[in-house]
Formats: sequence, C-alpha cells, structure tokens
Amino acid sequence: MIEVTGLTKVYKDATIETYALQNVSFRINEGEFVSIMGPSGSGKSTLLHILSFLDRPTRGTYHFLGKDINSLSDAELAEVRNEEMGFIFQSFNLLGRSTVYENVELPLLYSPMPISKRKKAIEEAVSSVGLAEKLHMPAANLSGGQKQRVAIARALVNKPAIIFADEPTGNLDSASGEQVMEILKKLNEAGRTIILVTHETYTAEYGKRLLKLKDGKLESDELITARTMQNYFK
Amino acid sequence: MRMYDATRTAWKGVMNAKARSFLTMLGIVIGIGSVILLMSIGKSAEKLILNEVQSIGSNLVFVTPGATHGSRFASPASLLGIVIKTLDERDVQALRKEDSVLRATAEVRGQAKVVYENNDATVTYTGNDHEFFTIRDFKFTLGGPLTQNDVSSFNRVAVLGSEIASTLFGDKDPIGKTIRLKDSNFRVVGVLRSEGVGPFGIDQDNLVIVPVTVAQKIMLGINYYNALSIQVKDSYSIDFAKGRIISTLRFNHRITDPNKDDFTVQTQEDALSLLGNITSVLTAFLTAVAGISLVVGGIGIMNIMLVSVVERTREIGLRKAIGARNEDIVLQFLIEAVTLTVIGGIIGIIGGISLAGIAYLILNNVLTTGWFFALPLSGVLVSLVVALLTGLVFGIYPARQAAKKNPIEALRYE
Repeated sequence: MIEVTGLTKVYKDATIETYALQNVSFRINEGEFVSIMGPSGSGKSTLLHILSFLDRPTRGTYHFLGKDINSLSDAELAEVRNEEMGFIFQSFNLLGRSTVYENVELPLLYSPMPISKRKKAIEEAVSSVGLAEKLHMPAANLSGGQKQRVAIARALVNKPAIIFADEPTGNLDSASGEQVMEILKKLNEAGRTIILVTHETYTAEYGKRLLKLKDGKLESDELITARTMQNYFK
Repeated sequence: MRMYDATRTAWKGVMNAKARSFLTMLGIVIGIGSVILLMSIGKSAEKLILNEVQSIGSNLVFVTPGATHGSRFASPASLLGIVIKTLDERDVQALRKEDSVLRATAEVRGQAKVVYENNDATVTYTGNDHEFFTIRDFKFTLGGPLTQNDVSSFNRVAVLGSEIASTLFGDKDPIGKTIRLKDSNFRVVGVLRSEGVGPFGIDQDNLVIVPVTVAQKIMLGINYYNALSIQVKDSYSIDFAKGRIISTLRFNHRITDPNKDDFTVQTQEDALSLLGNITSVLTAFLTAVAGISLVVGGIGIMNIMLVSVVERTREIGLRKAIGARNEDIVLQFLIEAVTLTVIGGIIGIIGGISLAGIAYLILNNVLTTGWFFALPLSGVLVSLVVALLTGLVFGIYPARQAAKKNPIEALRYE
C-alpha cells in the first residue's frame, strides 16, 4: 500500500539546511497498524505529512497504492486524500459552531458521493463511534473524548483505505484515550490500515508494528511485543 | 465541490457571525439604498414635471419673439428682458389660416399692482383672448373664462389665479367684485383652479388675465405680442405643424436665412427632451455616487474577509487536509463575499424603496404636492447585478489568500 524509498526532507533557511528526514525507507501493507514513535524533533510529524500528501519529500520516492505521488498534481493528491485517507488530529479540528452531523459531512462536501447517500453514510459513521444520540448537537458542546470520536467518524465517513492519527490521545484523559484507541483497534481488526503517530507507549502498544525515528532517521522497524516496548524505554 | 455545498457553506459562514456580517455589508446597504432612494425621487420628479408639462394642454406649440442662440434650450431673447416687437396680429391671422393649426391665440404681458380694498399685490397680468382658455385647458373653481365679446368690446373684466384670488379676497367670493389694475377697474368673472408654474416660467396661480385687446391697446399701448400659443389639429404631427408654423412666420417676416429667424418655436416635446437631458445628468451623478459608495463598501468587505480568512486558518487547513482543492476554498470564500454583498444589496433596495415610500407619504400628505411613488425597476435589477459584481471583485483577493495557505501551517495555527 505504502512504499517509501530514500525519503529525505530538507528545510532550507538562508544559511542552514535542516534534515527533518534522512534516507527513510519502509513498506506498509494493507491492514497493518503501524505506530510511529520518537522524541520531539525526530521527524514523526514530517513523515506523517509526507505520507498523507500534505507535504512533498525533497528526495526519495513514495508510492501510494502503486502510484508514484511525484507524478500526481496537487488537485489529484487532494482527490486521493479525500477518497482514500482519513485524518485524526491531536486537537480534533472540529468546527465548533457546526453540529456533529455537519462536521462528519465535511469530507463528503469534496467527494463525488451523491447527496442522496450522504445522510446514511454520516449516520453509520457516527453510530460506529457510539454518538448517534448526539448527531445534531453543536460540536463545541461535547467533551474531549466525544470530540475525538466525532473526528474519527469524520475520518471514516468516506470509507478510506487508510487512517492517519496524529497524537489522537494527546489532549484526552486516559479513560477517553483508551476509548479512542479501542475504536482504532476495532477499525484495524475490520481491515483498515492505520498509521499512528504518538509519543505515549500505551497508545503505541495498540499497534502491531513500531517505527522508531531519531534525528530524522529510521532507527528501528519491528513488530510490537512486550519486549519491544521495554526496549523503547531503555 | 458542488455549487449547492459551496453556497450552503458560505451561508453558514455568514450566519455564524451575524452582527459582523451585517456591519460588513452596511457600506453596500447604504450605497445601494441611497441610490435606489435618489433614483425613485428622480423618477417621481420626472413624472411630476412630465404631468405638469402635459397638463398645459395637448398638441401645443409656443412662439416667442427673438431668436434662440446657442443650444436649442437657450431662452429666446424676449424672455431675457429684451423687448422684441416682431410678433403681431398679421402673424396670428396667417397662422389661423394654416391647415395644421386648430387654434392660434396671442398674448401680451405686463406687471402691475392689483388692489382690492386694503389688499394689494404686484402681479404679472396677461392679455389673452377667449380661445386661450380652451387651448390651455384651464379649469375654474368659480365663474368662467373671458368671452369673445369681452375681447372684441374691450370689456374691463379679469380672471384671477387661485392664489392671487385668495390674497385679495380671502374667504370672500370674488365674482362680480371690482379690482383695480394699473389704475383701471376690472370686474372679476372667474377664478382658476390651482395650476402651478406654466410655460415661460409664469406662476399661473398669481396671474391676472384680462382681454388681450384691453391689455395691448389700453394698458400697454403696444401693437406687438409677447407670445403666441398654437393648438395643432390632432390629424397633424406636431413636428410637421411646427415646420409649417416656422415657414409661415418666415414668409411673414420675409426671412430667407434660417439663421436669422426673429422668433422661436417650441413644442412640449422640446421641453420634455430638456427633461430627458436633466435626467441623464442625474443618472450620471447617481452612477458616480453609487460607484464611490460601492468601492468603499467593497473595500470594507475585502477587509473583513481578510480578517475572517486569518481567523479561520485552521478550518482552511482542515478542509485542505480532507480533500478540498484550492478552487474549492476560493469558491467558498468568494461565494461568502458575494452572499454578503447581495444580501446587502437586497436590504439596501428594500430600505431605499421604503424611504422613497415614506418620502411619498410625507410629500403627498403634509405638503400636498401631488407627488408620485415611482419604483425604479431597472435600478433594482442593476443594483443587484452591481452588488454581485462588487462581491466578486472584492472577494477574489481574500479568497485567493485563503486558498494559498499551506495546510500544515494552517493546521498548526493558534
């Protein structure tokens, strides 16, 4: 599904070149649950931005579903983002004045799905995160955990192939965080690919594979076991 | 993004900040409102003047002595206080023989003090014959017009304008009473209905009309006329008759060079085309006012839209992340700007029409001027189109600024 080779991202200032990513290569197959960890400044966010088409690499290749993204225009990338990718952010990024329904509808505004099919898709997505009774409530009135579940529903509504979650539990208490991670786990069990960026080990443990970044380089790429997580703390 | 979704999203953007949206569109509201109000008043005034001109009578041609130089709307020399003696009884007789002429009547004018008991006033008096009242379609509140006999017998009788009648007589019935005009006694035989200002700028409500023979021969001691009023037969076109009148007068005055005419012939159409000129000047003026106010209003909208783009940076980042293309973002903000200007335009139109309605009620009931309520329909449509264009022109820059935002930075924006 995802194949990156020699991925490098350089930020150039007037005098200084900063390597946010250096020669990173890996493959992610369909149905995987990959956690990306690393200290701040390690390049986690940059990697996520490139994987989700929000940024382009300075060097290296990236194939998504077999297509080289360098060959796609911005509009085509936007189309793939809309149809194949779902996003969950640390700060939820909901429109506070809009209702749960309207927030979840947002990706559909840019998708080719016929308007007549929207209502069903939105209701299904909202039910799947257990918020059916809050459908017409303004997003601003929800608790943090509920907001993140709405964000998950929004990420799901287009039935994307992959979900990118950027510190999804970062702004939540542990109980709400656990709820959110359980939902992600179920989605993965149902066959969806999930890429999770986190710095919390307990959330990373929900994944099946761990990519560790340090100073822009891929330090390790291994399956998650109890030992993997212990090593992480060393 | 579908137009339906873009419109819905833009509408929500406007309604999410109602007070701000209203204040933003206020420039457009005031601009378009004042243009509609002025257009309505202008149209009413035009209609009022048109009615006044038409109320003078139909198919009329006026002849005044002296040529008109320069524009065809310049005043003939005779109206500028210069005494010109070129129109006389021969002209009237010749014109009465002309096929296209139904009636021709001559007029002399003078100024004098009119006195009744202790009341007096300085008025313009005119000498007219009995046909003058038919030509001008004058209506009487009391009594009636001068008769043919009054004219031929040099009878000392007078018809009064409505205002001078009440100045002299107050509530008393003037009919049969004797007034003094230029040291002669005149018996009042009629009082005119209020007519306002007539041709040659004469206030017809302060007019004293006496037989033309008396005025010309006895009071003024002259043998020329100050003006001729001619009614054209319905079967002839007014322009044809005008041409015939001109050639008759040229023949009578032995004029071969048209540039040396010693008279001026004017029709109601001439007066109306002057009105048309005034209207087009007014329209040009209004367009300038509208242009200025819409530019000011448009800049206000652009300003607030730019602020709104900054405030909604994260929303823009989010929309881009979940698949909005640059065109979708441009469309959303552009429609939002157009929504503001079009709603502003609609409020302005409703406000302008309401104010014009209030002006109509006040002018008609308080001032009793016979004001009209005119709805400038073309103005309404043009205003809507202009409001829409203002939104497009002043919305495009903020919309492009929004679309240019980098989604990563936009999502991080605090």
